[in-house]
Amino acid sequence: MIKLTRITKSFGRQQVLKGIDLTVQKGEVVVILGPSGSGKTTLLRCVNMLEKPNDGVITVGDYTLDCKRAGKKDVYRLRQKSAMVFQQYNLFKHKTALENVMEGLVVVKKLPKEEAKARSIAVLEKVGLGGKLDAYPSQLSGGQQQRVGIARALALEPEVILFDEPTSALDPELVGEVLAVIRKIAKEGITMIVVTHEMGFARDVANHVVFMDGGVIVEEGKPSEIFNHPREERTKQFLQRITPELNYSI
Amino acid sequence: MKIDPSFIWTAFTQLLPSIPTTLAITAVSVSCGFIIGLIAALLRIYKVPVLGQIASGYVTFIRGTPMLTHLLLIYFGLPMLLGAVSAQFGWKFQPSSIPMIGFAFISFSITAGAYMSEVIRAGLLAVNRGQLEAAYSIGMTTPQALRRIVFPQALGASLPNLSNSVIGMLHGSTLAFAVSVVEINAKAQIVASTNWKFFEAYLAAAVIFWGLTLLIERLTAVIEKRINMYNRGGVA
Repeated sequence: MIKLTRITKSFGRQQVLKGIDLTVQKGEVVVILGPSGSGKTTLLRCVNMLEKPNDGVITVGDYTLDCKRAGKKDVYRLRQKSAMVFQQYNLFKHKTALENVMEGLVVVKKLPKEEAKARSIAVLEKVGLGGKLDAYPSQLSGGQQQRVGIARALALEPEVILFDEPTSALDPELVGEVLAVIRKIAKEGITMIVVTHEMGFARDVANHVVFMDGGVIVEEGKPSEIFNHPREERTKQFLQRITPELNYSI
Repeated sequence: MKIDPSFIWTAFTQLLPSIPTTLAITAVSVSCGFIIGLIAALLRIYKVPVLGQIASGYVTFIRGTPMLTHLLLIYFGLPMLLGAVSAQFGWKFQPSSIPMIGFAFISFSITAGAYMSEVIRAGLLAVNRGQLEAAYSIGMTTPQALRRIVFPQALGASLPNLSNSVIGMLHGSTLAFAVSVVEINAKAQIVASTNWKFFEAYLAAAVIFWGLTLLIERLTAVIEKRINMYNRGGVA
């Protein structure tokens, strides 16, 4: 379970998160929607302390951390509970696909090399890259790179995988293969928090949708509720702009 | 006045035994300089209070003064300093027991450190911030992330400039003659002093320096090929 309590974050004078409370149950897929500048990516980055909140309490699995009192060691412990998939993939450029996935297992989880290798190969096969083990990121397409990124996160068997707009940097024709992989692992019951603009994906895969704007959660609920019967005016406006009705004639 | 080609060869063979001295000065100053430079670069990038400013001051002072001046400052200053310290604590240390080449090692390391810190800093800044974040996201500590992810990539990015520094120090090592260290160039002067065939002797020295430089260039090319394999598709 992931629980965020009263998370606030400011960059200089600008308050980006104004006291966010969010609970994610084990096995749940939570999609965070919102216009740019709403604080959704910042919120996601707060869960693994890539962005340090000014205040609030974060619980991931069995570990709870008070942001105000968090030292370096606490941050490292919290980070080991989660993994992240980045918009720009951020694969380790100087390592092959296999080495990218193995890195965390060997260095952080201290698995023996052979075991880490076997596990990494299995995960890479799962994301359809069993034939690209020795390829460097520069030799892979965007979609393939992002699937390695997902494998890298998945191999660590974290409490939660954080997806930060995982398909936003991809060519439109490559979005499908990445979403298919995310869908597949969502079905396996892995807890995920996903920031995305893919409405179709959110509708199909999410158990819970959160709509953010201006640093607060405006509305949250089941996808069917949010997409079909949004309560808040701001949510309606946003959804209309993002999924326009086909009300024009050609 | 005529050129004596046979003396070029004679001088060449007599200069060869001085190569180890030149290489020792270069190797020591480059390796110590690399460590000093790395520390200075990290102190500045992480804006460590006080130490970061000291590192900045060190870089600007050393780069703003000639290498020969560093050598002379160390040569005259260090024995005074050590003498005062050892007198203070009652040690039996004699500053005059420092070998001449020791001054060259120390002062050129300080020189190389300042130049290399800028090279290393540029290399570190060339690594995308996302690489560090990815390392954090899989649970690495800062030292782990620096050592395993950032440094290897920074090294690849700074290699051409580092090889420049090595060549610069190789050629700069000739200044050690000022404290009576006999490296290749000083040896050329000595070899020619009996028959005044300075041109031939220095020509031989030039050939040796050129050869050593070519060696460094070749070596860099090989290392670069290995380190930067990932950038060019892995089948170098």
